[in-house]
Amino acid sequence: MRSVLVLLAAVCVWAATDPKAAAEAEKALALAREGKYELAVTHYRAAIALDPHLPGIDLNLGLAYFKLNRFPEAAAAFERATKADPSSFQAQALLGMSYFGSRRFDAAAVHLKLASDQQPDNLELRYKLAQSYLWSKQVQAATEEFRLLLAKNPDSGPVHMLLGEVLDAAHQEEQATAEFEAAVRASPSEPEVHFGLGYMYWKQKRYEDARREFQAELVKQPQDSQALAFLGDTEMHAGDQKPAADHLRQALKLDPRLRLAHLDLGIVLAVSGDAPGAESHFREAIRLDPSRPDAHYHLGRLWSSLGREKDAEAEFAKVKELGNQEQQPPLITMPGHNGEPKL
Amino acid sequence: MKAILLAAAALAAAFWGVAAGRDAAAPIHFAYRPIDFKLDSSETPQRHAPETMAGGVALFDYNNDGNLDIFFANGADIRTLKKTSAKYSNRLFQGDGKGNFKDVTEQAGLAGSGFDNGVAIGDYDNDGYEDIFLAGVHGNRLYHNNGNGTFTDVTHRAGLDQPDSQYGPLWSVGAAWVDVNNDGLLDLFVVNYLAWDVNHEPSCEAAPGRLDYCHPKLYKPTPNQLFLNNGDGSFRDVSAESGIRANPGKGMGVGVADYDLDGWMDIFVTNDKLYNSLFHNKGGGKFEEVAFETGVALAQSGQFISGMGVDFKDIDNDGYPDIVFVALDNETFPLFRNIGKRGFVDITQTSGMTGLSAAMAGYSPTVADFDNDGWKDIFVTRGHVQSLGYAFRVQVEQPNTVFRNLGGAKFAALTAEAGLTAQPPARHRGSAVGDLNGDGRLDVVATALSTPAELWINDSPGGNHWIAFQLQGTKSNRDGIGARIKLVAGGAAQYNQVSFAAGYASSSAGPTHFGLGPNKSAELVEIRWPSGIVQELSNVSADRVVKVKEP
Repeated sequence: MRSVLVLLAAVCVWAATDPKAAAEAEKALALAREGKYELAVTHYRAAIALDPHLPGIDLNLGLAYFKLNRFPEAAAAFERATKADPSSFQAQALLGMSYFGSRRFDAAAVHLKLASDQQPDNLELRYKLAQSYLWSKQVQAATEEFRLLLAKNPDSGPVHMLLGEVLDAAHQEEQATAEFEAAVRASPSEPEVHFGLGYMYWKQKRYEDARREFQAELVKQPQDSQALAFLGDTEMHAGDQKPAADHLRQALKLDPRLRLAHLDLGIVLAVSGDAPGAESHFREAIRLDPSRPDAHYHLGRLWSSLGREKDAEAEFAKVKELGNQEQQPPLITMPGHNGEPKL
Repeated sequence: MKAILLAAAALAAAFWGVAAGRDAAAPIHFAYRPIDFKLDSSETPQRHAPETMAGGVALFDYNNDGNLDIFFANGADIRTLKKTSAKYSNRLFQGDGKGNFKDVTEQAGLAGSGFDNGVAIGDYDNDGYEDIFLAGVHGNRLYHNNGNGTFTDVTHRAGLDQPDSQYGPLWSVGAAWVDVNNDGLLDLFVVNYLAWDVNHEPSCEAAPGRLDYCHPKLYKPTPNQLFLNNGDGSFRDVSAESGIRANPGKGMGVGVADYDLDGWMDIFVTNDKLYNSLFHNKGGGKFEEVAFETGVALAQSGQFISGMGVDFKDIDNDGYPDIVFVALDNETFPLFRNIGKRGFVDITQTSGMTGLSAAMAGYSPTVADFDNDGWKDIFVTRGHVQSLGYAFRVQVEQPNTVFRNLGGAKFAALTAEAGLTAQPPARHRGSAVGDLNGDGRLDVVATALSTPAELWINDSPGGNHWIAFQLQGTKSNRDGIGARIKLVAGGAAQYNQVSFAAGYASSSAGPTHFGLGPNKSAELVEIRWPSGIVQELSNVSADRVVKVKEP
């Protein structure tokens, strides 16, 4: 699901007391209509300098910033607009969208909710609101919002997919998987829908099913580094070392930060007898996340298999050190025993 | 969604060839039978850790009448660690060999006094009567079997009541009797979990305002203990000099077996959210910890998982004991195949166990041949460690499952098919295996938190033959623990090493059982006693318990 919100047209109601300010604002608006947003910003700001209270000026400035993907500046302008007119649907909606663009999902949810309350049937807005809930970890609110969306759009693949994401975040894997399966049925060509379902299968260690979905995703998006990495992982589990190595290498070429791919490729190379190659990838996996024991463990196993006992002991010592790191308990810890990330 | 991958851990592959499976034509099946015992671990809203860990159970013949009896360890008031109510009483049930049981706790003097967690059966004084060791929270107990239906608490006389000089009172979850120096006397290995104090315990929320059990990483590890049997009713703590103490952990399960067939019994301990420990017995009372070198420290993911109960038996009939342990959901139930001198290989994925167990949370795995087809299966008691209030996130209450061995390299999971949904799902804990009704099919007794215990009477079809051996050591320890039994029937060999420690906090102390499939006899039975004596029996007819005395 990519951007869906149709931007609202800003209303121009200049009631300037300063004719120069009005002229700057008119010029800015004309430039904005031509898509010349950088220049429009300059003239909007000139108008504000002459008359900071020019009605509607912050809304239009914010919209220009928004068009330029300068979301923090847009949000600042829309904040001023909502203060000037708290009942403005446009200002609230665009402020929410600007926070969304700034990845400030908590704040986005607040303003998108205020806007949605004014236009409850605006599904595009509600979709962004649901996403904001999801990504600000307001799982319950997100679930309710997506269920509402689904009631109105029962055949929407993207909504099924995002509801699946919400349910996954709520640790309801079975229901989440069902939503992703519905998403694939509803919108099989939607980007990421096969990836999402594959990921759910992968989490449940249903590697053959996951493999099929990652392959389907790659038909649509052959350069999807994560789909390639996960596909390689499923192939490694199936013992298909050659395709696993190929896909893991492709993934790393596209995105060298993929820790999973480094670890897996290290394992595959270790099995095939390429110790230097394996070591290199294990070390990169360690560099990317030194807090995890797995790459140390596999590197230690590699050295052990080669009779390099001292090197092996050093890696095993790191594993032990990581395992024995004391954690200072806070008074209240959340979540409980099983709540730490499993991945 | 995709941001996850950057931090994601891979699961390492196991690279074992897959052996051919076998048609699952003779499924395993159990019928439920109730027994009047309810495990009470004093569950409180504060969710103190020991509340979720109780539940040891033992099957053994306490009065030598040839029938298996049942002992349940029970909890206590969590704040005082005292059995302040009859509901916390341990229970001994005398079996009649037909699957019926009578409560004889009071007569036996086994009601107990503290918060008892695990139970280990063994005849430590070689008098012919099985004794009971109870692993508990801040206090262990040794009960000597007087041979007249009663027991005497000999903890103090045995020297097993001393708090640890560094850690203070320990929380012991289980134990194993094993003769570590082959002197003919059973020694005692005690598994200790976390450093815990009811007054200084972290509080953890599963959801706002909803307390649940805390992650083990919030507690300090503690060392396991090894006590050498002096032969006079007392024991000597050799934890430090043996090398055991140098490897503290968060122990949950213990399995004992001579994994490298060097004649000395080794000890495997699962740890909770930590690496496992494999204590290789070097002889001379010394152990070296070799879990990393042998490939059993971590499961194939390379991550720290919630190691729970364990069993240490040969699942592929090659004579080398393999390791089976269980963990929580998404962690799988790891299988380590023993490949002799080269250590172990993780066969969780290739055996099918990854997919079968990924969604399960297990506590107590016991390895035994439930369909008497010559391949040992795995019965797993299931249930999550978290409280019932955690059910919004995970399946806390679960049914038990038996994993049928399809020829040594593959497993099939049977739950409803095996009759194990005849009871509602529960937070199952300990389990013990033995033939409760004398029909040659191995039954299971399982405990569950705050719900009645379950007897699962094996009524599997198929009519396969079987044989079981009740060993009596003379130079070796009288229970024959550590004896290696090789049996050949129909030209195929099977192996067992005698050990009573199996599963979680539990003890299965019945005769050592073999399924013979269609064979009505075993051509050869070879017993290698811990003393080194090798005894052979030929053409042993099936469908009976054979008593064998060490020559």
